[in-house]
Amino acid sequence: MFKLKKDDITFTLNRLKHRRTVSALATALFRILMLTSIGYIVIYPLLYMIVTSLRSTESYSDPGIIWLLKDYCWENYVDAFSALKFPEAFKNTILVEMVSAFLEIVSCSIVAYGLARFEFRSKKIMMVVLILTIVIPTQMIIIPQMINFSQLDFFGILGLFNKATGIDLRVNVLDTPFSFYLPSIFGIGLKSGIMIFIYIQFFKGLPKELEEAAWIDGAGPVKTFLQIAVPSSGVVFLTVTIFSVVWHWNDYYLAAMFMTNNRPLALALANLPSQLPTLGFGYNLMTTRAGSIVMAACFMFVVPMLVMYIILQGKFVKSIDRVGITG
Amino acid sequence: MKKAVKHRGIETLKAKYGFRFALPWCIGVVIFFFVPLIQSVIYVFSDVSLAAGSIEINFEGLTNIKEVLFTDANYTNNLGGAIGKFAYSFPVIMILSLILGILLNQKFHGRIFYRALYFLPVIVASGVVMELIFMTRSSDIASIGTDASVRDNMISAATVIDWLGLPVTVSSYLDNVISQIMNLVWSCGVQIILWIAGMQAIPDLLYEVAKVEGATKWEEFWFITFPMLSRVTVLVAVYTMVDLVTAKTDLVMEQAYQYTQQQSYGTASAMLWIYFIIIGLLTGALLLCFTRFCAKRWE
Repeated sequence: MFKLKKDDITFTLNRLKHRRTVSALATALFRILMLTSIGYIVIYPLLYMIVTSLRSTESYSDPGIIWLLKDYCWENYVDAFSALKFPEAFKNTILVEMVSAFLEIVSCSIVAYGLARFEFRSKKIMMVVLILTIVIPTQMIIIPQMINFSQLDFFGILGLFNKATGIDLRVNVLDTPFSFYLPSIFGIGLKSGIMIFIYIQFFKGLPKELEEAAWIDGAGPVKTFLQIAVPSSGVVFLTVTIFSVVWHWNDYYLAAMFMTNNRPLALALANLPSQLPTLGFGYNLMTTRAGSIVMAACFMFVVPMLVMYIILQGKFVKSIDRVGITG
Repeated sequence: MKKAVKHRGIETLKAKYGFRFALPWCIGVVIFFFVPLIQSVIYVFSDVSLAAGSIEINFEGLTNIKEVLFTDANYTNNLGGAIGKFAYSFPVIMILSLILGILLNQKFHGRIFYRALYFLPVIVASGVVMELIFMTRSSDIASIGTDASVRDNMISAATVIDWLGLPVTVSSYLDNVISQIMNLVWSCGVQIILWIAGMQAIPDLLYEVAKVEGATKWEEFWFITFPMLSRVTVLVAVYTMVDLVTAKTDLVMEQAYQYTQQQSYGTASAMLWIYFIIIGLLTGALLLCFTRFCAKRWE
C-alpha cells in the first residue's frame, strides 16, 4: 500500500517535471527566436553600412549584388575622409565635445553627491527642477540660448555696463568651444539632468558607514567625497562616462546651433549628403557612389564608439545590473 | 542638552555643505535653463530681431501662434505627421523594450552575447547615422511599406497584412510599425537598460514566495514584476517621449530648425512650444491611463 503511494508520488512528480521541462523548452525556444530575429534588425544597419561602404559604381547597376560584393572599392573611404575633412572635424569633436563630456562627468557627480547625501531645505525644489531639466527638451531653450551666447551676459550686468560706459564687454562665444564648456561646467550641459539622476540613485545606495567614519575622523566634505565616495563608485562613473561620451560624440543638434565653422564630426557627417554634389559626386544616394561614400563616412564615424564598446562591453553590461539606475 | 545642541550643529553644517555642492548647478540652472526658458516663452509672443550688439524684442501678442497655426499649411501638416508618428512609436517602444528587457533579464546560455548585441544601439545610436542609412538604402527590409514597387516584389510582412484583410486603420497602423521597425528597435536601447535595472531592483523574496504559492510565470509577471515596475514605467515613458520628440528626423523640429536658420526666432519658438505642449499632454494622458487601469488594479 505504502509502496503504491510512493509510486504515485513519483509518477506525479515525474509528470510535473516533464511538464516543466516542456514549458521551459518552449520558453527557451521563444526567447532565442525572438532575440535572434530582433537581434538581426539590430545588427542589420551595421552590416548594411559596411557592405555598402565598399560598393563600387559598377555594382550599383547590378541588382543581383546585395550582400556579397565582387570587388571592394576602398576608394570610397579615401573620398569620405577628404569630404568630411576628417582630421579637422575629429579635432573639433575632441576639443569641443569630448572635453565638455569630461567636464560634465565631473560637475554632475559633484552636484549629485550634494543632492544624494545631504539634507537641506531647498533640496526638494532642486529635485523638482532636476526633473524639469530632464523633461523639457533642449530644443525648447536652444533659440534664446543661442542668442544669449552671441552676446554673453550674466543677468544683464554687462549690458548695463555697456550703456553706462560705452565699453562693450559682451563677447560672442558662438562658434567657440566655450558655448559647450560653460553649461557643462555648471552641470547643465547635454542631457546632464539624466546623468545627475543616475549618480544620485547610485550615491543613495552606497553604505553611509564609511563616510560617517571619515566625518568622525575629521575629514571635510570635499575630502570625504574625493577619497571615500569617488573610489567606491567606479561602476557608476563607468556608466556615466560611456553615456556622456556617446551622447556628446553623436550630438549634432547643439553643434548645428552653436558651431558654424568649427564643425565637429557628427555635424560634418549630417551635412555630407548636401556637400557631396559640390565636390563632384552624384546627388542620388541610392544609385551612385555618393551613397557608398556616405556609408563609408558613417562607418568611420561609428568605429571609435564601436571600439570603445568592444573594450568596455563586459564591464558595461555588468554595470547595468549594479548601478541601479532606477533605484 | 549639550549633546542635542551639538547634534543639531552637525546637521546644519552638513546642510550647508550639501547646499554648497549643489550651488554651482543652481547658478547654472538659472543662467542656462530658466532664463532661456522664460525668454523662449516671451519669443512666442513677440517679434525678435538681431541687430549688431543688441536684441530687439517687440511684443506682438498672438501673431506668431496665429501665423503658425492658420497661415502656415506646412506646419499643421508636419504637426499632424509628427504627432501621428509619436502616437504609434511610443506604445511600440514601451512594450517592445519591456519584452526585450524581460527576455534579457532571464538566465540562459548566450545571455552575455545577446546583451552585448542589444546594448549596441545605446553606444552606436545616432540619429544622423540612422537617417543616412535610410537615405541610401535601396531595396531591403528597411523599405518595406515605404516604397510600393519594392513591397510588391517581396514576400513581406506588409503583404501578409494586406492578405489578412484587416480594417484599413488597423492595417495602416501595422504597416507604419513595420516600415519603421528598424528605427523603433534602434530606439529601444536605453529603455531596455532602464527596464532591466528596474527588474534587478525587485527583491527576490517576492518571487520565492510566489513559487511556494505555486504561481505560474504568467501570474508572477502580472502580480509582481509589472506592479513593481510602475515607477520605472514613468521614467521610461519620459525618456521615450524626450527621445522621440528630439529626434533628428522629427518633422516639426526640422521645420523649426529651418526657421531658426532664417532668423525667425519668434515663429520657431511658437512651433516648438505648441508641439511640446501637445506631446506633453499626450504622454501625461497615456501615463494616467496606465496608472489608472493597469498599475492600480493590482495594488
